[in-house]
Amino acid sequence: MAGSVVGAGLIIEGEFTSDEPVVVEGTVRGTLSTSESVSIGGDGVVEADLQALSVSVAGQLTGNVSASSRVDIQAGGRLIGDVKSSRFTIADGASFRGNVDMDV
Amino acid sequence: MAYASVIAGSAVIRGNVRGDTSLEILGRVEGDVGVTGDLSIGPDAVVVGTVSGARVLVGGSVEGDVTGTEAVIVADTGRVIGDLVAPRIGMSEGAHVRGAVRTEGAPSVRSVPRAISEPRSAAPVERPRPVVAAPPPPLAVAVPAGTVSKPAAAAPAGAKKAPPPPVIPAPRPGVRARKKLARR
Repeated sequence: MAGSVVGAGLIIEGEFTSDEPVVVEGTVRGTLSTSESVSIGGDGVVEADLQALSVSVAGQLTGNVSASSRVDIQAGGRLIGDVKSSRFTIADGASFRGNVDMDV
Repeated sequence: MAYASVIAGSAVIRGNVRGDTSLEILGRVEGDVGVTGDLSIGPDAVVVGTVSGARVLVGGSVEGDVTGTEAVIVADTGRVIGDLVAPRIGMSEGAHVRGAVRTEGAPSVRSVPRAISEPRSAAPVERPRPVVAAPPPPLAVAVPAGTVSKPAAAAPAGAKKAPPPPVIPAPRPGVRARKKLARR
């Protein structure tokens, strides 16, 4: 499934839940939860607590993250918040500030 | 048509969605949706809130006003409970719409309630007239007030005669008005 795409210029404020992948190139504020993956593109901004199967951050993410599979911060990505996931990678050039809990 | 943003069928958003983009909604949004680009509301989509876009295609369900800066098109699967406002409005056979429909450019919020209130105000249209007829009484009151000085006995008598005339010219158009004045 294609899932949801929050394109550049789109702003979602509130509670966002889904059972499909979510790609964020715009802005999401509030909470974001999906049983699939969340991908935050280079220009994407997420200011929300995030729950997903897997999370990839190439843009900006401010909020606590809980992923049942994995969390990856790409080069240039920025994550401020606590991460709770059994697998967590931070690419060279990424920035991160927060606590990590891999004991899931 | 390709939309820059998509809210998937399984997605539920409780909150507002806005931006300078085109958007396709296939899921559910409980909140206001406002984009400057085209907006498509899919057959299974539900929006509870106001909706606005450049060209708005309603294939699903909307509970709220729908505004299109260019057009609003309600497909045969579409269902709208709310007002439609756009320079161009299209409704397919089978579409379900309950609300005021106006093919206008710049939407003005005020004229919507006017249009709705017109049929209701038809009966009570005469109510404003009593208000117009209201001025005479104060005049009548004012005259006696001036005569309280008792300069002459004839003056009060004249003053008492004075009030009737203003009442007489008013009655025919305002017979009902007098009655209503009495009620008030």
